[in-house]
Amino acid sequence: MTDNGKLAITPISVTHPEHVEIDKLRLFREPAWILRLTIDGDRSYLKVKVVRAAPLSHPTRYICLLDAKDEEICMIDDLTQLDLEARALIEGELDRRYLTATIQQVNAVRNEYGTSYWDVQTDRGPREFVVQNVSENAQWLGDHRLLIIDVDGNRFEIPRLDELDKKSLAAVEQVV
Amino acid sequence: MSTFLENLPRTIEAKVESRKGREEPVLIQVATDMAGEDRFEQRWLIVTAKRLMVLDPNGASGDEEFSLQAVKSARIEALVGGGRLEVEREEGAPTHLYYSNSLASKFAEVAEGIEQLKKGQDLNLPHELDRTHCEQCGRRLPEIGGICPVCIAKFDTFKRLIGYMLPYRFQLALLLGLTVASSLLELAPPYIVKHLIDDVLVPGAAGDMLYWLVGGLFAIGVVEWCVGVVRRWLNVRVGFRAIEHLRTDLFKALQYLPLRFYDKRKVGALISRMNNDSEMVEDYLLFDMPYIVSNAAMIVGILGLLFYMNWELTLYVLAPVPPIIIGSSLIWNRLQRFWGRWSARWSRLTTHLNESISGIRVVKAFAQEHRESERFDQRNHALRQISVSAERSWLVFFLVTNFFMSFGGFFVWYFGGQQIVGGDLSLGELMAFIAYLWMLYHPLKWFGDFYSFMVRAFAGAERIFEIVDAPSEPFDHPSAQRVPALEGQVAFEGAAFGYDPGKIVLRDLDLVVQPGEMIGLVGKSGTGKSTLINLITRFYDVSHGRLAIDGIDIRKISLRDLRSQIGMVAQQSFLFNGTIAENIAYGKPGATFDEILRAARAANAHEFIVKKPDGYDMLAGEQGDKLAGGEKQRISIARAILHDPRILILDEATSSLDTPTEKKIQEAIQRLVKGRTTFAIAHRLSTLRSADRLVVLDGGKIAEIGTHEELMAREGIFYNLVKTQRETSAVMATSG
Repeated sequence: MTDNGKLAITPISVTHPEHVEIDKLRLFREPAWILRLTIDGDRSYLKVKVVRAAPLSHPTRYICLLDAKDEEICMIDDLTQLDLEARALIEGELDRRYLTATIQQVNAVRNEYGTSYWDVQTDRGPREFVVQNVSENAQWLGDHRLLIIDVDGNRFEIPRLDELDKKSLAAVEQVV
Repeated sequence: MSTFLENLPRTIEAKVESRKGREEPVLIQVATDMAGEDRFEQRWLIVTAKRLMVLDPNGASGDEEFSLQAVKSARIEALVGGGRLEVEREEGAPTHLYYSNSLASKFAEVAEGIEQLKKGQDLNLPHELDRTHCEQCGRRLPEIGGICPVCIAKFDTFKRLIGYMLPYRFQLALLLGLTVASSLLELAPPYIVKHLIDDVLVPGAAGDMLYWLVGGLFAIGVVEWCVGVVRRWLNVRVGFRAIEHLRTDLFKALQYLPLRFYDKRKVGALISRMNNDSEMVEDYLLFDMPYIVSNAAMIVGILGLLFYMNWELTLYVLAPVPPIIIGSSLIWNRLQRFWGRWSARWSRLTTHLNESISGIRVVKAFAQEHRESERFDQRNHALRQISVSAERSWLVFFLVTNFFMSFGGFFVWYFGGQQIVGGDLSLGELMAFIAYLWMLYHPLKWFGDFYSFMVRAFAGAERIFEIVDAPSEPFDHPSAQRVPALEGQVAFEGAAFGYDPGKIVLRDLDLVVQPGEMIGLVGKSGTGKSTLINLITRFYDVSHGRLAIDGIDIRKISLRDLRSQIGMVAQQSFLFNGTIAENIAYGKPGATFDEILRAARAANAHEFIVKKPDGYDMLAGEQGDKLAGGEKQRISIARAILHDPRILILDEATSSLDTPTEKKIQEAIQRLVKGRTTFAIAHRLSTLRSADRLVVLDGGKIAEIGTHEELMAREGIFYNLVKTQRETSAVMATSG
């Protein structure tokens, strides 16, 4: 009860996972191929997995650290909160986990009976892929940002459609 | 070449030869499509009985080699958009091979293969993976194991479609004859008009000719009308019959397909696809195909006649034909894109409508009516925009084709007029030419249309045939052993199973269940309880080891005999549309009403059924969804009791019920279980007290077996599960 006799509403909050102070996180590789984590003065994890909570809308924020059983240890709200070294470690892990290729140039797109055959240049090298039913498998992530998922579940992203060269743009617009 | 021995490029071949010993055959050689996590490049993995090699086809910077003995484990890790194979060694950094999702299933098998070799076992990998590329053109298939839309053997599909009409070949021949005849009949009137103008409508001509020719026009009109009626009637008759057969075949195939087929497909998508496909084939058989035949007959007929009448003028007539065809097919493509977008937006609108109406309670509870209306407005607006654009293109299509077509008219008037003046052509011939001209151009306009409709219908037919042809469950296999009366002994012997190759769900199962014994299956969710049951019902076959019923391998038992002696009561009791009595008798068609009554009594269902206004005649299922959960449950128990199975499966049969109802159902289940081999899954462990033995599954393996007391005394997994449950229910009891 508060002073004026009305029932106070307590905000609902979740206590798990425990809040961890960012500056208590110690990330390091030991041996060189395994990422480990120590929370200063508390506990240590032998193997840590790094995932994005919202890989499409907030790629550099809300980064979850998971333990060997895939249970959440803590969340880093913003990568900029980390020092450069830790940030590089996290970004390295993220790069290894998210294999989305960025399309830089579209050489050709052929559409045949609802299936489109793409030939593109990506940041990972040239690639050909097939998309069935483009309207279902191309996802707009903004006015100019497009994510395309091919028949195997591989991901291709065009970060800025309006910055593609004219020929590429024409090819994309022909099917999307 | 075997699936896991891919063709090596030259550069790699030399490297492999130089690195491996002479008498050391290569067991696995596969390529991955990524070098590290950030480049699309080839890397090769070569595995022999002695060593593993990772080789770079363009240089040697990424080459690695180590002995198989040094390998500690090989496993795959799923990443987003791909995965990686991790080969861990006793010492040193593990080797990682990245691959895109396109190769995920291949590398799952490769990891399994390396594990087998490491353990000193023989390599045992599947002979083929699912087909991902078209065998004919090498194109990537839009669906794994599906059809190549570019290469579908159009003629074969056509032949097969015609095959469905062949039982009516007489009618079909008549139909074809009539179609051609009616097209040709349409050619006659302009020709008669020509005679009228040239020979009759001149001053002083014989009057009775006028009488005959007009009579002829009238007669042709009547005949054409009659032929048209008969033709439509025959067409609809034959077409609908063919489609009826096709649908029957399709439904039968869907019923007999193994469950594995349904695993990877969404039921809703499957149903809507089936609807669309058969509708496309229906449209094609009923409307497009006759249209194509009659138009083809018409074009050939007119061209023949025109050339016969005046070949020079005919060439002028044909001049606008190429632009008409090219122009219409160009605009047609554009139109199709609009229609594609239109239907996408239309479906978004209907999805939203559907969602907000079926979720109206939630919408109202959160007071979101306004937002829903706004979202609807947006979609409605988007739909209008695309409709207007599509309609505009449609208009352009008509204007452009008509424009070109009118050119033909100008040509004929001008050059024909010159010929008339020169005395080479009669006025009647000119009029006939102009009439034929329009009859010729109209079918040509639809040229782009014909082809795309045909292709779509064939693709639809092909997808239907794909399902019709898919191997069905071996229901009445002639070599299967008939077992009309099972004892009910179930034995797993070193059985293992995974839904996907490489992802084992159950392993090392050894369990003998005696006839009449009741087994309680316990474990956290995802530990394989339901999977184990799927093996007993033979919805799936074990991947390794053996499952025997009464000592006979389950794969050798007649499926019909097996399933007719297995009964199932599940948490979600599915009732079919029909009366309660019909639902109880589902497993035993032709059961007498007395038998149904007895089963309902034994299931403690009788008392609530007779309270219903319509009693046993009450409609259940989707139409009459007025039954409570516990009532449905008891009906499904009655169904199992009447079915009288030797082996009984209770899948969460008593969860989510209130206590008095549960007591009634427990009682009914006790009656049902008596004397039958029973497998029961239950989350509430107290309900498994009556089980003879409990089997605790953990991580896909049997962790503990024993009676309730034995397992409690053991203080293992089961003990902990019971303890947690008691604590939770205590909390619930005090707080609730």
